[in-house]
Amino acid sequence: MRLSLLLPALALLAAASSPAQTFVFKGERWEINDPFKLDNSIPPKPVVDAKKGTINVIKGTIDRVSNSGGIEVTLTRKLTEVTEVIWPLPSRLKDAQANVSRGEPAKALDNVEAVLKFFEPIKNVPGSWWARASIVKLDALDRLENDAATESFLAAFEKEEAAKLPEVATQIQLARLMQRARKGEHEEVVKESTELLTKVDTAELQARLHLVKGNSLFASKKYEAAMATYLRVPVFFGSETEIVPKALLGAARSFRGMDSPALRDQKLEAVSNRYLYDIIVSYPVSKEAEEAKKMLPKEERAKAEADQKKIAAGGPLPEGVIMAKPKLADEEKVEGNK
Amino acid sequence: MLIKESRTYKLAKATLLAVLIAMTPVIGDLRAQTKKPLPTAEKKEDPLSLLYKDAIKNLEEKKYKEALVIFEELDAKAVDVEPKLKAVVSFQKSLCHFFIRDWPRAEAELTAFLDKYPKGTEDFLSDTDNRRGTAELLLIEAFSKQGKWELALARLEKIRTNTLARPEERVNAFTLSAQIIVDRAKSSPEDVKKAAYAQGIALLKQATADGISTPERREAAYKLVEMYTKLGLAKEATQLKNEIDAKSNGSPVEVVRSNFQRLEIGDARFGAAESAADENFRADFYRQALTNYQGTLRRANLSSSFGRAIEAKQTEVETLTKNFPKPSPEQAANIEKAKQEAAQFKKIQEEFNANKDYDAFISYRIGLCLLELKRPWEAHVAFLDIFENSPGFTRISGAYYYHILALRRIGRNNEAQAKCKEFISKFPKDDQVSAIALILGDISQEREEYPEAIAHYKWVLANVKTLTPEVIEEIDFRVAACLFSQVDWAPAQKAFEEFLKKHERSPVRQQVLYMNALCSFFQGKYKETKADFDKYEQEYPKGQFIPDVRYRQAIVKFGTSPRDIPGTIKLCEDWLKDYSKNNTDEVISQMPEVYTLIGDANIALADEIDKKVKAADLDVRLNAKTPEKAKFVEIKTKLEKEKEAVTNKAIDAYEAAAKSARTNPQALEFVLGELRKLLPGRGEHKRMRDLFKEIFDWNHNDPKSMTYLYEVIRSTERMGDMPEFAAESEKVRKNFSTQLAAARKKVDELERRDKVTKEEVDAAKAGVKKLSVELEAELAKVEVKRQVSIADQKKRALKILSDAVSESINDRTQEGTEKLIVFLAEKLSRKIKRVKPGTKPEPGAYTSAEAEKELVKLLRLEDHRESLVAQARGFFALGQLAVFTREPEKTAANFAKIAANYKAEELNPTILAMVGDSLLSKGDQKKAADFFGYILEHSRSTEYADYGFAGLAEIAFANKKYADALSLCNEAIDNNILMSKELDLRFTRARALAELSKYAEAKKEFEEIAKTKEWRGEKTAASLYWLGLMAERQATDEKGYNEAIAYYRRCYMTWKKYEVWAAKSYFASAKLFANKLNQKDAAKALLKEMLEKDRIKDTREAAEAKAFLLGL
Repeated sequence: MRLSLLLPALALLAAASSPAQTFVFKGERWEINDPFKLDNSIPPKPVVDAKKGTINVIKGTIDRVSNSGGIEVTLTRKLTEVTEVIWPLPSRLKDAQANVSRGEPAKALDNVEAVLKFFEPIKNVPGSWWARASIVKLDALDRLENDAATESFLAAFEKEEAAKLPEVATQIQLARLMQRARKGEHEEVVKESTELLTKVDTAELQARLHLVKGNSLFASKKYEAAMATYLRVPVFFGSETEIVPKALLGAARSFRGMDSPALRDQKLEAVSNRYLYDIIVSYPVSKEAEEAKKMLPKEERAKAEADQKKIAAGGPLPEGVIMAKPKLADEEKVEGNK
Repeated sequence: MLIKESRTYKLAKATLLAVLIAMTPVIGDLRAQTKKPLPTAEKKEDPLSLLYKDAIKNLEEKKYKEALVIFEELDAKAVDVEPKLKAVVSFQKSLCHFFIRDWPRAEAELTAFLDKYPKGTEDFLSDTDNRRGTAELLLIEAFSKQGKWELALARLEKIRTNTLARPEERVNAFTLSAQIIVDRAKSSPEDVKKAAYAQGIALLKQATADGISTPERREAAYKLVEMYTKLGLAKEATQLKNEIDAKSNGSPVEVVRSNFQRLEIGDARFGAAESAADENFRADFYRQALTNYQGTLRRANLSSSFGRAIEAKQTEVETLTKNFPKPSPEQAANIEKAKQEAAQFKKIQEEFNANKDYDAFISYRIGLCLLELKRPWEAHVAFLDIFENSPGFTRISGAYYYHILALRRIGRNNEAQAKCKEFISKFPKDDQVSAIALILGDISQEREEYPEAIAHYKWVLANVKTLTPEVIEEIDFRVAACLFSQVDWAPAQKAFEEFLKKHERSPVRQQVLYMNALCSFFQGKYKETKADFDKYEQEYPKGQFIPDVRYRQAIVKFGTSPRDIPGTIKLCEDWLKDYSKNNTDEVISQMPEVYTLIGDANIALADEIDKKVKAADLDVRLNAKTPEKAKFVEIKTKLEKEKEAVTNKAIDAYEAAAKSARTNPQALEFVLGELRKLLPGRGEHKRMRDLFKEIFDWNHNDPKSMTYLYEVIRSTERMGDMPEFAAESEKVRKNFSTQLAAARKKVDELERRDKVTKEEVDAAKAGVKKLSVELEAELAKVEVKRQVSIADQKKRALKILSDAVSESINDRTQEGTEKLIVFLAEKLSRKIKRVKPGTKPEPGAYTSAEAEKELVKLLRLEDHRESLVAQARGFFALGQLAVFTREPEKTAANFAKIAANYKAEELNPTILAMVGDSLLSKGDQKKAADFFGYILEHSRSTEYADYGFAGLAEIAFANKKYADALSLCNEAIDNNILMSKELDLRFTRARALAELSKYAEAKKEFEEIAKTKEWRGEKTAASLYWLGLMAERQATDEKGYNEAIAYYRRCYMTWKKYEVWAAKSYFASAKLFANKLNQKDAAKALLKEMLEKDRIKDTREAAEAKAFLLGL
């Protein structure tokens, strides 16, 4: 009886002991105050627990108060002594990622800069979120289409140790490709992205590369090839929910490009509208859904919006609709900080 | 499992026993010796120890039989040893039997081990594991393998309920129990199987109740996922699967296992979808399958995961080896364990790499799901991936087949055929060849390319050796049907006859008999046709083609010589009596044909009577002055009445045919043609109007509806000019003609008399004149009535048109509405009496202002105030009216209102194109670009798509974005989007090429325009000017400049009416004479000639030329 009562308590204890923000030094571990956790004051301030370490960026130290035999002692260690960082995904980095997905690059930059600043002194320490945050910043800059800012950030980023990590190196290559695409070097972008596709292994990068390649093919008016490239994203990387709506939008545009009186029987305008409908129904809060609404004729737009509401209220899926499935938990784990 | 990868999967499945056995025999002796050395160990290794080592070595090398021999020798020799050592030997022997799969001996040895050694191997092999638990499980496995389910389960129950047993052993016991229960029910009925799964699930749930943190518990969880999947509990399976994955240690074994389990779940869902009766469930299952397939890791991802794991393991081995050069037994065990794991990972990697089909299988499955989910475009892309990345895929034929299906579904028949041909040439001996060749033929047949279809079918017959009799029969039939369809009657008949001989009991025999008879029919062999149809009726008195057969029999009667017209009509009337209430599609479609035949028969009768009428007429004339005349007149009148009655019958029949021909457009077209010949000539405009109105009302969106409406309008207008007016006029003329004749006679007589005064003659003449005036006045009265009637009917016609427009004016998607509006505008414009510019119209005349008012009224714009598109169409209509009344400023003003008040998305392609063009000509490039852009975005397949390309290209060119202009033109030209704007697009392309200094290509284009007769006009003049300009730009010497001047001269000499181009050419030539050729006199003369031309005087070039002339 006692044992069965103890079980829930043990479960609670287990939940409470989920990994906290910790810096590992040689021979000891310090819990660190999370600078992104704010209190309810106005304006909100970071929650500070004196027993946990607080970073002093100017001095390059971490300070914490220790109570030894009733006497409070302030302990200090240098940031350079940190050998490992154990830190769950910072909330502002998560926000920044969401901002990028929603097409709010300025907000994303605001969030990600805070993360970058915090992890800057320990950027090369295993477990640091600096590299991941840099990639999110790259994404945000890319969305802003500010080539000068992207160029300057990339130039600095490439010199960093983190840039040598294979995944980061690929992301940088991807960002460079996007820059070149904006400059109109589409032929080269198509060639390089095709080559790169054989080298990258993660679904996310594959999906991104397909998107970049599709965009360049579209810009070169190679609509058929663009369509086939874009559609690979929903077909093979359906769980990349951030990229799928972009690819669907690209596919919808490609179908419109392919359309001509000679292909009237293929009803490509209707096919294109079907993809726009899918975006509105399956990704209603995305930036692409807004774009899709603009592109759809108003009668069909009204239908899509009505269907989306029905589905949101638990109604059945209309024929042919394949709802987006978010990534599975294990795939979602960001390994950037390991 | 459907796939080869199951080998890898099986490897992963074997982990349960691997966990138990893997490290068991290897190090036991060493540890035992280290701990408690055998008596002679310090000096010399004892022979028993050597034997043991030798046996273990064999065991490690999987030489189980050799190992067993040594262990048996050891068993015999080691008589006086500790019990635990005897236990070790017994355990190892049992392992050997187990691996040799000698289940009875394994069972005997394990039972002996468990019975004799209650402490098991004690601490010899492990401090914490005396191997009794392992032995129990192995024994259970041995029982299972022999089908001794109950014994196995009884033992397992003992372990499960033994609270003193190690937790892992209990967990394993639960897992094995579940597996055995399911295995036991393998060949049982479905309900027993389901019950077994339910029992298994209950046991596995107990095994995983305390989490899945140990390998044993994870193993139980994997099994549970499997069972959930088998029972179709997808949600539970996916949930648990995700939990397992989240707790995965990332080892390749787990990655592979997890991955293939995902595939298994996908397969199970796919299987469930295939067998689901409910459409909604089916779609859901396919979606679930698709999600699992999409979530499966691809080769690249798995390979790199293996690579990382192997690298990490090898580093671990190296580090351990380096750190412990002289390892303790514990350290040595760890090193060995790491080495084994590295080896295991490599093995999995090798197995995985050996399977080249992995990615292709995933794409294949994804493609199938998408095809089933009615997403053919995505399916097309999934199969493309296989062709591009896995051409050696073992199921490539299946991929071809389904890709071809996808291509057909998206309407890409050309590509589908190309794919069929590619397959046949690449894999001529594949099992799928016949199916694919059939598809190839089927596509050709569907596209009415019959010779090609026949060739494909014949190729199959000749080349595919594995055809089933059913396929052969189908091909034979298809070949004959193709010959039939290509109207090759004799060969078709031969093919059908052969078919009937070859396939006597064919399910399509009825159809073949019928088609065979039709072949005779269409060859005009009526005798044979009758015989063939009789045969059909005899074999299938209630056959599906009986109505058609009876109709054809009537045609045969009509076609044979001499014609049996009454017989024909009788058969047709019988047909109508029997089938007029039959609602089958075939009968409904045939009905107008039967009526038409009645009409034709009656017309034939009328023609025969007409011959008699002519003969009677001749008789009347010949007997004009004989007493017989009246008799002949009577005969003639009677015949004429007869003819009239028969013609009326024919018209009635044709009308009935037209009214019943809604589903038979061919019959409708024919019969309307006949009625168009008959009705107007007989003044039956109302009948004509009513008939066409009825047909028009069937479907206002029918492509032919405009033609029908046109007939309605024309007939309505003609209705106004009724025959009564002509009769009345005639009557008036007759009345007056007697009086006039008498009056003229009187004048004549008076004039011939000698003594007649001038006054008398004048009075008589005045009488004639008065009568003439009176006649004219009477006729004018009739004419006024006639005009009123005509005007009245025209009004009615406009009302009909107005009704038609008003019906669809609110619907943006109705593309025909603009055509009706243009039609209406044209009608109204014709009412306007044109006057010369500057002249005031006559008072009371119908003016363009009134036409505008009437147009607005007819469009009922007041009733559609709320409708944006209706209002836009109103402006469009006014603009179009102004086009017909030649008031371009009004057109521009109305179109400008559309541009100012409406977004592109509120308009349709016709208005966008027309208004866009108008805006462009007025220089409003921004708005025009919006409109043209919208066309390109939304209406590329409409007949106005080229307006979009041409307009945007023109704008790009005007803004000096020559590459963009060129790209737009190329896109339109390359894709043949050239309906009304081909000339504009080619001209802009040529100019863009010229501006991009691609002179050779530009020259070719300009020359093409200049020499094309159909394009003669302004663009010809412009092309000549541009040819001159390009020559000038490239010229470096006198010859070059002269070449340019030659082009300029051709322009201004031939095309003076296009003053802009003529002026440019004049001025350019003059400048070349003056500046490059030093011929100032020639330049002066030319400029003077230029400035004398009235058309050129006011051009911008003329102003510049004047200034230039002064400087010469």
